[in-house]
Amino acid sequence: MNDLLVLLRPRLLSFKNEGASRTARNRRIRYLLFGAIGLAFWVGTFFILYRVLNYFQGVEEFGDILARKLLSMVLVTFFALLIFSSIIAALSKLYLSRDLILVHSLPVAVEKIFFARWLESTVDSSWMVIVFSLPVFLSYGIVYKAGPFFYFTAGMALVPLCLTASALSALAVVAAAVLLPAGRIRTVFVFLGIFLIVALIVSFRLIRPERLVNPETSASLVMYLREMATPGSPLLPTTWVFDSLIAALSDLKGAALFHLSLLWSCAAALAFVVTKAAGAFYFLGYTKGQTTAEKLFPLRDRTRRSRFNPFSGLPGPQRAFVEKEIKTFFRDQTQWPQLFLIAALIAVYLYNFSVLPLDQAKIKTIYLQNIFSFLNMGLAAFVLTAVAARFVYPAVSYEGDAFWIVRAAPLTIRTFLWIKFAVYYLPLLILAEILIVVSNLLLEVTTFMMALSAVTVFLMVPGVVALGIGLGAAYPDFKSENPAQSVTSFGGLLFMLLAAGFIALVIVLEAGPVYTVFMADYRGYSLSVWQWTWLVVSFALVVLLCVLAVILPMRLGERRLAGR
Amino acid sequence: MIELTGLTKRYGSIRAVDQLNLTVGKGEIFGFIGPNGAGKTTTIRMMAGVLAPTEGNVTIGGMDMARDPVAAKGTIGFIPDRPFLYEKLTGMELMRFYADLYGVGNGIFREKADGLLRQFALYDWADELIEAYSHGMKQRLVIASALLHDPALIIVDEPMVGLDPAGIRLVKDLLRDLAAKGTTVFMSTHTLEIAEDLCDRIGIIHQGRLIGLGTTGDLRGTAELHEGDLEEVFLRLTGKETP
Repeated sequence: MNDLLVLLRPRLLSFKNEGASRTARNRRIRYLLFGAIGLAFWVGTFFILYRVLNYFQGVEEFGDILARKLLSMVLVTFFALLIFSSIIAALSKLYLSRDLILVHSLPVAVEKIFFARWLESTVDSSWMVIVFSLPVFLSYGIVYKAGPFFYFTAGMALVPLCLTASALSALAVVAAAVLLPAGRIRTVFVFLGIFLIVALIVSFRLIRPERLVNPETSASLVMYLREMATPGSPLLPTTWVFDSLIAALSDLKGAALFHLSLLWSCAAALAFVVTKAAGAFYFLGYTKGQTTAEKLFPLRDRTRRSRFNPFSGLPGPQRAFVEKEIKTFFRDQTQWPQLFLIAALIAVYLYNFSVLPLDQAKIKTIYLQNIFSFLNMGLAAFVLTAVAARFVYPAVSYEGDAFWIVRAAPLTIRTFLWIKFAVYYLPLLILAEILIVVSNLLLEVTTFMMALSAVTVFLMVPGVVALGIGLGAAYPDFKSENPAQSVTSFGGLLFMLLAAGFIALVIVLEAGPVYTVFMADYRGYSLSVWQWTWLVVSFALVVLLCVLAVILPMRLGERRLAGR
Repeated sequence: MIELTGLTKRYGSIRAVDQLNLTVGKGEIFGFIGPNGAGKTTTIRMMAGVLAPTEGNVTIGGMDMARDPVAAKGTIGFIPDRPFLYEKLTGMELMRFYADLYGVGNGIFREKADGLLRQFALYDWADELIEAYSHGMKQRLVIASALLHDPALIIVDEPMVGLDPAGIRLVKDLLRDLAAKGTTVFMSTHTLEIAEDLCDRIGIIHQGRLIGLGTTGDLRGTAELHEGDLEEVFLRLTGKETP
């Protein structure tokens, strides 16, 4: 027990000493911002669920079935999230952390090391799921007028659920680490996880939930609801949580305690099994992860290598960084699942436009199509901002500890930042134009709207990319193990806020004049002088805004980075 | 070749380097020694243009680092104490990256790169990702890359850290050869035997100030010692003598 506390002490002390750290101020701002966002999400979840459950209460016969099925689905979702996050946390804590060399050199049994790390990873992977499950239980408790026993049951059920998920994940990770080096397992699991998420999104979209509002499908809905009344598998821990909660809601204390005891005994047994298994296999897998410096590529014959180089026309320093950027990006396996996810989201985005039931709307189709097209400019730019937040903002931080090469190289920070800008500008421009042109084709908009959207996005992309590069350079994090996470820092949040503000401002500036032009065209009258002036001034302001969005952040980034 | 004038670096209230004045001539091997935290790495980073000084000037080959950093850096081969590199590039790709940055022409690149990689026993690893290299191999690759453009000045921070005995011999011989051909070498080290063996002159920095400068004999005089090696001189000057 003493050894366990010693092993956990560095984490507890680091947590305690966070306030004294040099980055404490930045972190406090980050916590405050994320706390506010989290609270808004928490309160939103509570109110939505509260209203949904109240609505279900009013549905005769099926109300309770729906509420129960919703609870069961929520629990399964929580469990899946717990499993996914536990796998990532366990891999990182057990095999990839930088302090493992020190920890394994300590005179402590490997089971104890494993157990301490497993406890840490369980807390890391579970706290957020627990926090965001509370509004769910609270809304059920209030709507069903449950007593304190329900809340006690909910708390007592959540802990063993987290332990069970974490133990199962750790078992899978320990087993996988014996077969594969830990660095590769992470990629495999991240791929699998992303694949599952993408499959869920795509399948949910292909079900076309909008059809549920169509009365013609209600007969099959009734049949579906009848099927839903069937209970879940008795072997799933989520079924035990579900059963204990339902029993607690009905004040059946005996049944609730029985299911709770099932949960706790399962969690305890799994904790025992995983610790024993780890005693036998954990160090073996850890050692395997440390000794995989085998040659990654076979040695190629240098004389036979292709001499074609698409960047050969660029000056030396530019060519050096462009090639380095592209190679390091595509060779970093952690980038691949993200690209995969983006491709799936774009497919879903465009699919949504193809199934919009415009012909069923009461408003004139041409009017609706063009309103959607206009709003789509903003939407596509927001998608672009999300992509830029993931790839462009961390681009400078990705230099990491090797940033000394840039500082020592015979090129200015300005040139370095513009090279970064150029590398990300072209792919993002192509992505944004594909989104906008294809969705406009699907909407069958007027030529004016098509041209306007394409030009506006063409003007906005450099602004968004420059904001990403510039603010990423102004607030770099060269020490991070995962620079992609730097977007959650103060600078990352500033980037997202400024990019959203920039896009919103462009859309607002264009909205009035575009509406005037569209209505004049639709009703067949010509624009007055005043309207023309308004149009020209608005578009001139848009161009000015886009130019400033490029120049100002790039200058700020250059000044801050050069002064480090 | 190197001229440091009133070079100062402050981190908040701490003066890491304080009014450093120093001149190093062409073809000279200059050793920079001092206790931990004395300001060696900070000085070296300011000389390489990696860190901006709070006050003072760095002039390399007549070029002011603050006014014309690109030209000044173009003449330097910088080898830091820790070999952090782009792990997802291969050794040969890193050499190509350096060649493009420092303007080594395509015509001579392959021959020079192959030669340096062979010299540093990395030729067989040239097409492997750097992430698969050991610490010593990365250190050798950094040195090989820094020599690719025939720099007039080599600035090297702790050159022997992470190298095996053969690597240490190789680097020592190489630095001597380069200096004999007119290349200036500025190196910081904790290994006093290497400084004594290799350097024409030695500077001792303590608490950000240069407290001794010259040959071992000169330094002995500064330390008011009639005999003794560099270690004794160093301990006397830095006040770290064991009682």
